[in-house]
Amino acid sequence: MEKIVIVGAGAGGIILANSLNTKKFDITMLDKTALNVFQPAFLYIAFKGAKANIIKPTAKLLKKGIKLKIEEVKKIDLAERQVVTDIDTYHYDKLVVATGSITDTTQIEGLTEVNKQFGDYHTSIENAKRVWDSLSHFNGGTIAIGMASPICKCPPSPLEGAFLAEELIRKKGLKSKTKIAFFVPYPRAYPSEAMNEVVEPLLKERGIDVYTFFDVDSIDTGKKIISSIEGDSIKYDLPIIIPPHVGVKIDYNPSSVLDSDRFIKADKYTMRIEGFDDAFAIGDATAIPTAKSGVTAHLQAKTVAKILSGIDVKFDGRTNCPFDMGYGKGSFVIGSYTEPVVRYPPTRIKHFMKMMMEKIYWQSLKGTYDFMFDAYFKHTDPAKLNRKYGSKQKSV
Amino acid sequence: MGKIFVDARGSSCPGPIVELSKAYRNAKVGDTIELWATDPGVKSDVAAWAEKTKNKIESITEQQDKIVVVIDILNR
Repeated sequence: MEKIVIVGAGAGGIILANSLNTKKFDITMLDKTALNVFQPAFLYIAFKGAKANIIKPTAKLLKKGIKLKIEEVKKIDLAERQVVTDIDTYHYDKLVVATGSITDTTQIEGLTEVNKQFGDYHTSIENAKRVWDSLSHFNGGTIAIGMASPICKCPPSPLEGAFLAEELIRKKGLKSKTKIAFFVPYPRAYPSEAMNEVVEPLLKERGIDVYTFFDVDSIDTGKKIISSIEGDSIKYDLPIIIPPHVGVKIDYNPSSVLDSDRFIKADKYTMRIEGFDDAFAIGDATAIPTAKSGVTAHLQAKTVAKILSGIDVKFDGRTNCPFDMGYGKGSFVIGSYTEPVVRYPPTRIKHFMKMMMEKIYWQSLKGTYDFMFDAYFKHTDPAKLNRKYGSKQKSV
Repeated sequence: MGKIFVDARGSSCPGPIVELSKAYRNAKVGDTIELWATDPGVKSDVAAWAEKTKNKIESITEQQDKIVVVIDILNR
């Protein structure tokens, strides 16, 4: 049997493993933790004080016949076709890396201190709870919310935080004594123009100040000032800052497959790691120019499972990032490599669909709802939606 | 004085400007950034970015399969 090693048991790794035929493949999954966490819920722990019942043992999410080893991967030797952990060495015929991304506060001066005190909503349940604690004790002033570097998982999440913070502040009766300063390194509040046209009126209507081209350089925690590379600054009382995202610390041979942030260079259509036919990378771990989100990991996992099974398919770059715009309304950021992002207006039903994901997440990892996802993706094809809702001009 | 090459072809979400911002973080005065993109929005975005960051667009060339933007880093 062909030996497949999957490094990383997040959503992408689990979906991939469950999509493979265990009678045809000898599948081993490696992860340093035995638990899977539904990360999109961090947003609701941070801004709504939601309960954190979002963890399940990975072993319960895998089909029978898949071997799960709780070991920490130290080295991936692509040239020798082996994975070295803290305990053992695994040889493979085919490898899939699905290690996700981690946050790194050390890249920005002052951010580690800010993060320890105020938390963030991309790293862990504990950090998300810290944001909720900070908001619960907030009595007015400036909430500075945004991303510390241009890359973070879930592109809508910086704005989701701003929208939900504003909703909370208004509900607490603090709106008149609070300023919300939203900062991004992009030319506009949301990077894709079509979606920006949707969110800009909402930001104005809710009195959220937007600081564009604000790429965080350093934070002066004494003076409570965030400074940007572009030369601007924001004075804060409560900072909610998404730390820079990087790839996990694993040694690679050759190291040239990693970019400067330790993301893996892989083909955007087949997810093959640069220079290797027998190794793939999926999800947040890659440097592929698409959104770092669960949906991307899901669709890439399905594509790689088919390629491993001998089917010639390509990932089309489809995104479907859920976008909570506050007050019970939401949308999705939908696009692909060939179709620009759709100008997709917010509705209550889209928000409901986002919230339903938490309910169906665990079963969806097992493939139970594949038929439903297939129908959904067909129904929301970006070319079809762009004809209905209009978008900017087509890609070159 | 180095040349930084950024291939953002196919990126429309979050977009080529993200890749440019990332490259700028590691750039020095005197460097040149060459950005490849397919998203047509890159032209206006890079113009606004260059104005804000006080850097100079050397050229924007539309080729059959991509847009090539060359930026001289004057300020960092």
